[in-house]
Amino acid sequence: MNKTRTAALAALALALPAGLAACGGDDDGPVTLRYAFWDDNQRPAIEAMIEAFNEDHPDIEVELEQNPWEDYWAGLDSRFAAEEAPDVFWNHVSRFPTYASNGVLLPITDDIEADGVDPSIYPENLYDSWQYEDEQYGLPKDWDSIALVYRLDALEAAGIDPATVNDLEWNPVDGGTYVEFLRKLTVDADGDNALSPDFDPENVVQYGTAMSSNTGQTDWWNYAVQNGCSLQTEPWGDYAIDAPECVEAIQFTADLYNKWHVAVPAESTNQPNGGVPGDYVVPGQAATTLDGSWMLSFYRDGLEPGSWAVADNPSGPVGSGTVINGLSNAIYAGTEHPDEAWELVKFLGSEEAQSIATGMGSVWPGVASLNQGFADYWAGEGIDVTGFQTAAEGTTIGYPMSMNDAAFGTAAMDEFNQVWLGQKDAQEAAEAVVALANAE
Amino acid sequence: MPNLLETAPRPRSRQRPRPRAILEAYAMLAPSLLGFAVFLIAPIVIVVLLSFYDWNLLSDPEFIGLENYRELAGDERALKSIGNTFYYVLLNIPAQTVLALLLALALNAKIKARNAFRVLYVLPWMAMPVALGVIWRWVFDPQYGALNRFLDLFGIDGAAWLTDSTWAMPVIASVNVWQYTGYTMLFFLAGLQAIPAQLYEAADVDGASPLHRFFAITLPLLRPAMLFVLITSVIGSFQVFDTIHVMTAGGPAGSTATLNYQIYLESFTQRNAGYAAMLAVVLFAIIALITIAQAAFFRKRTTYDFS
Repeated sequence: MNKTRTAALAALALALPAGLAACGGDDDGPVTLRYAFWDDNQRPAIEAMIEAFNEDHPDIEVELEQNPWEDYWAGLDSRFAAEEAPDVFWNHVSRFPTYASNGVLLPITDDIEADGVDPSIYPENLYDSWQYEDEQYGLPKDWDSIALVYRLDALEAAGIDPATVNDLEWNPVDGGTYVEFLRKLTVDADGDNALSPDFDPENVVQYGTAMSSNTGQTDWWNYAVQNGCSLQTEPWGDYAIDAPECVEAIQFTADLYNKWHVAVPAESTNQPNGGVPGDYVVPGQAATTLDGSWMLSFYRDGLEPGSWAVADNPSGPVGSGTVINGLSNAIYAGTEHPDEAWELVKFLGSEEAQSIATGMGSVWPGVASLNQGFADYWAGEGIDVTGFQTAAEGTTIGYPMSMNDAAFGTAAMDEFNQVWLGQKDAQEAAEAVVALANAE
Repeated sequence: MPNLLETAPRPRSRQRPRPRAILEAYAMLAPSLLGFAVFLIAPIVIVVLLSFYDWNLLSDPEFIGLENYRELAGDERALKSIGNTFYYVLLNIPAQTVLALLLALALNAKIKARNAFRVLYVLPWMAMPVALGVIWRWVFDPQYGALNRFLDLFGIDGAAWLTDSTWAMPVIASVNVWQYTGYTMLFFLAGLQAIPAQLYEAADVDGASPLHRFFAITLPLLRPAMLFVLITSVIGSFQVFDTIHVMTAGGPAGSTATLNYQIYLESFTQRNAGYAAMLAVVLFAIIALITIAQAAFFRKRTTYDFS
């Protein structure tokens, strides 16, 4: 078997020029660690944390390898195959099951014990989500949730009191106050909003909302959870998005596009060509969106202070929940520098490092005691971010965990893009996704 | 004109070459033979082997015999991607070849700034396909794209080019036609210049019309160039990848997923490297069959001797 692996690896090494590049590793000199991540928004915080790391570890140089989400996983997988993967990398719960069970992650259980790292500084479920068969494979880097981000100027122009935004409700029948709110915020070129009989849906200058997502996390998953859909039968179980409460929420999402005309059209927002939700809110094409906490700095950098705010998610028939998620820093099992890599991971998981990130307003921290620091940073910017904390409670569910995440992701994007365009029935699409994702 | 595909006849020497000469010849050939073996033969052999395995890139491959090949029969996406590939080639090759030929005829005539035009048409081929793909994606953006803005001026409501499964493939094909026409033109231009002028003079004497001269002299004598152009561009268009990856990533609804793109999706997003290797073998077989058919078709009809 080993022979075939060598042959297969040779094939990949030949196919990928990157595989040919030698990786220089000197045992007796300064060590260079490669650290891979995807989010451009978080780069300043990462650089600041590495700078702090180097004060105590001047001999460990950290080389950043940044790839956008769309290319990140394919690049990582091929470098696992070529045994040339970065020493330390951002891990995502959706990929964690496959990686842990295939042995590409270095267990750090013993290091945690030997160095006396205290797991109780992290929320228990966040820490435990990086466990597989009694081994720990990462320290929590952050957590994230989804909340409603909106432009104050758009609300003012529509005569909506911002105090009412926290209490919006939707239902799949008549849309509820949430859809009414979005219709008020959807304005055509003549200044008529979507509630007006003169409204022209072909000529809209501002939409009520923008929905776009590579995964579902910032579009239909929110409505799904709010309608009682839990995406899977159980964590690690089959995908179950063909359940009636899921299909109803998918249909509601499609209605926001095609029935109520309150969402930036799917022709623009469908992935992979569409932007992130903020790309539509910042230039004023959309008045609100349901977006992730990791995007806060995107709005800060794109909009005037005081012109935007964060509110609670709308409530659906079941509640106002969403999907929460967290990332960890993981170590590649084949690293030549496991000790140095652990030093880096330990530091990035520490209160010291994460307080740098929260102090810059980058992401909600893995270290629970720093949550207030993050909220304080944003309060200083005039933004009340408690909407994200509220969103993490109640009916909210964890990110779906499955060995078939890749198949699910590809099938879901393919099928639901057609539903958003109004070209496919929600039920039919959901069944197709489930069939493909659970077949593996 | 040099013979493009067939090797020259063997010298019929009765003398056996000296061993030393053989050794020298192989020594000279060694560097390129080594490159050929390492970068071409070895990967092909490995991909064929890999097609009999199940491999998720992360752990050891598992031998499964012909299972990948059997699975293909029921794999709608893969079969659809084969159809998409032929659709793309049919959109791409005739348009590109005819345009290139017309351009070559125009730029073979004595017109002003001829060289400037020749350079201009080859420029897209010299640029990076990924960078071009990104720019064309902007041009075809349904709301902010230059194309729909332009159509707006005439009151035409442009389509959502790249998110519409009817339009996406023709759009991709047109971008590639635009990119490779100039390059293809170069071969026709070289072919045109190799046609002896006295043939046209003789035709003039016989009073042949320009159209008649084109079909009786130009086109038949361009066959060597045509053979080369068709074989290389058909192979190239069966292997299209970068434009698709940048502009549509195979979507919408799989409408631009060609077989080559499906190989990428299976291998790098679905982690089915063995299955992807099987698809690569299928693509190889399709291209080989078509190339052999093209060569056979032209061999009977091609003249290399213009004297």
